[in-house]
Amino acid sequence: MTTTNPWSPNSFTPADPAYFKVKLITFSITWGLIFLASLVPGILFVASVDTPLWLVIIPPVLVVVIALLILRILRRQVLALGYLEREEDFVVRSGVMWRKQLVIPYGRMQYVEVNSGPLERRYGLCQLTLNTAGAGATAHVYGLPQAQGQELRERLVAAGEEKML
Amino acid sequence: MNQVAHWQRVHPASPFVHGWIAIVGLLWIYWQNTDELSFAERFAGQRLFWTVVLAGAALLLVLFFYFLSWYFTRYKLTDTHVYVNAGMLFRSQKQARIDKVQAIDIAQPLVARLLGLAELRFDVADSSESVLRLSFLKKADTHDLRQLILQRAQGEQPVENPAQQPAEPATLNPLGEQHAGSAPLMAKVPAGRLLASLFLQLPVVIGALGCATMVILWLTGINGIIAGVLPILLTFGSYFYKQLNQGWNFTASATDSGLRISYGLADTRQHSIPAGRVQAISVTAPLLWRLLGWYKVEVNVLGTKSEDLDNLQVLPVGDFESLSRIMGILLPDLGVPNQREVLATAVKTGTDYGFTASPDRAKLLSPGAWKHQGFLVTQSTVISRYGWLARTANFVPHHRIQGTEFRQGPWEQRRELAGVRLHCAGGSIIGYLHQVDAQIAAEFTLAQAKRQVGR
Repeated sequence: MTTTNPWSPNSFTPADPAYFKVKLITFSITWGLIFLASLVPGILFVASVDTPLWLVIIPPVLVVVIALLILRILRRQVLALGYLEREEDFVVRSGVMWRKQLVIPYGRMQYVEVNSGPLERRYGLCQLTLNTAGAGATAHVYGLPQAQGQELRERLVAAGEEKML
Repeated sequence: MNQVAHWQRVHPASPFVHGWIAIVGLLWIYWQNTDELSFAERFAGQRLFWTVVLAGAALLLVLFFYFLSWYFTRYKLTDTHVYVNAGMLFRSQKQARIDKVQAIDIAQPLVARLLGLAELRFDVADSSESVLRLSFLKKADTHDLRQLILQRAQGEQPVENPAQQPAEPATLNPLGEQHAGSAPLMAKVPAGRLLASLFLQLPVVIGALGCATMVILWLTGINGIIAGVLPILLTFGSYFYKQLNQGWNFTASATDSGLRISYGLADTRQHSIPAGRVQAISVTAPLLWRLLGWYKVEVNVLGTKSEDLDNLQVLPVGDFESLSRIMGILLPDLGVPNQREVLATAVKTGTDYGFTASPDRAKLLSPGAWKHQGFLVTQSTVISRYGWLARTANFVPHHRIQGTEFRQGPWEQRRELAGVRLHCAGGSIIGYLHQVDAQIAAEFTLAQAKRQVGR
């Protein structure tokens, strides 16, 4: 399948490989909890409460199938992340099934945030959010090494002041 | 108009507009407690005396608080700011920079309307709390004051705050040279057309049919159903009323600074929309309106949050003539030589004047809409069309675009199609190129990135 992109995926700065671990842990926790919830009818069955057999089998199987499907593209999702600093604007890309490339001129930037959750901090990562006046035009950069994130933020702020429209 | 640089008080009747409920409350309490008495008993002897004394005392107390509220509410207008101070125990002092004022509304709640008063609402771009209220003044005074403030706001146009990016030096209004005061009428919605337009919308048609079915079922003796359906009916009723209220007595007129619209059934509202502050424009034609050639126009404006609808409606229903007049004010420069023809193609359908449509490959994904979907890039604007039953054309000026997003879903990847969204500020209207050829979409995104930084 040929893919057409405004900017070639190779020109982007990719997310740090460690970000895959963060995604994997988040994924395991979320789907682990969902799986546990799907086991409730089974536990009731074992505890000899009257429960129909299909209710015992179908939910866990369904959960496992969906989780495996997501797990399969999880790595590709992380590989699909990236950002590109250009002369006049900033581009982020994301998505495997639904592919996106969002370009925001520096001059439209309102403020830049750098956040890091406990899990990201453990791997020395952070995420950067670039906000404009429009709700839809918000660029997220995930899986940045913390030092790199701070530098990027400073560069963006400087570019924003310089390229003010 | 004089230079109003000293503190002034609002109209003395102002507290009553919100406070009349207190008087009604007192009356109600009195009524409740003397329910068993006959009319003659109430106003006889000792009882009459106490009634008069207590009622007088209560009334004085209420009036005293009204007085305090009025006394401590003051406003001042300087060359650069509007100040509003209020409150006795808890003082509040608010101000708005005039050059940040995005729009000024005049609102008239029902009671204020009966008293001939009106409230000014300033939509300000720079503060998180976006609305500054000045209530209440005589209606004529609010108009003068707004005129004055808008002139000052307009005068400050080129010194725009950088934080509020999308505002470029205002596009030149062709009506700019017109003398102040006269406001040529651009569009008017007669009550009959409004009602017709409401009943020709599918949600309303379905709702009305639903209501009729309910009544028939109820008449044939199935009672239970009413209780379950009542909430739905109420929701539908409030939706319908909102639409009616937003369109009732609607007029749009051209002013020096842009467009002024007014509408309202019980409460009347008046918005001023400076043309330079419009971020995006959407023209919609629902299925049944298309037969009559009617359109609805909505805009994204910074600051103005109409409480009821997502976007600000600048024409609830109108024919192509009204539409093109309004577009001429809000978007004077469409960036093409033959504006009228391009506008007509944009809101109807077809690929004349350089519109790029979805290719045949999109037929399976959007069987109804693929022929309508398309876009046109002009010198100043991106025009995008989409929608099946209700057809929409969105107009987004290049220098208003906050970000351009190239998107491709799994089904689009297979058919080598892609979409582009042009995000805008101030509302939910976006430029939306739907299911165009992937190569064209990618090239458009690259070119648009260049265009939106061009100054």
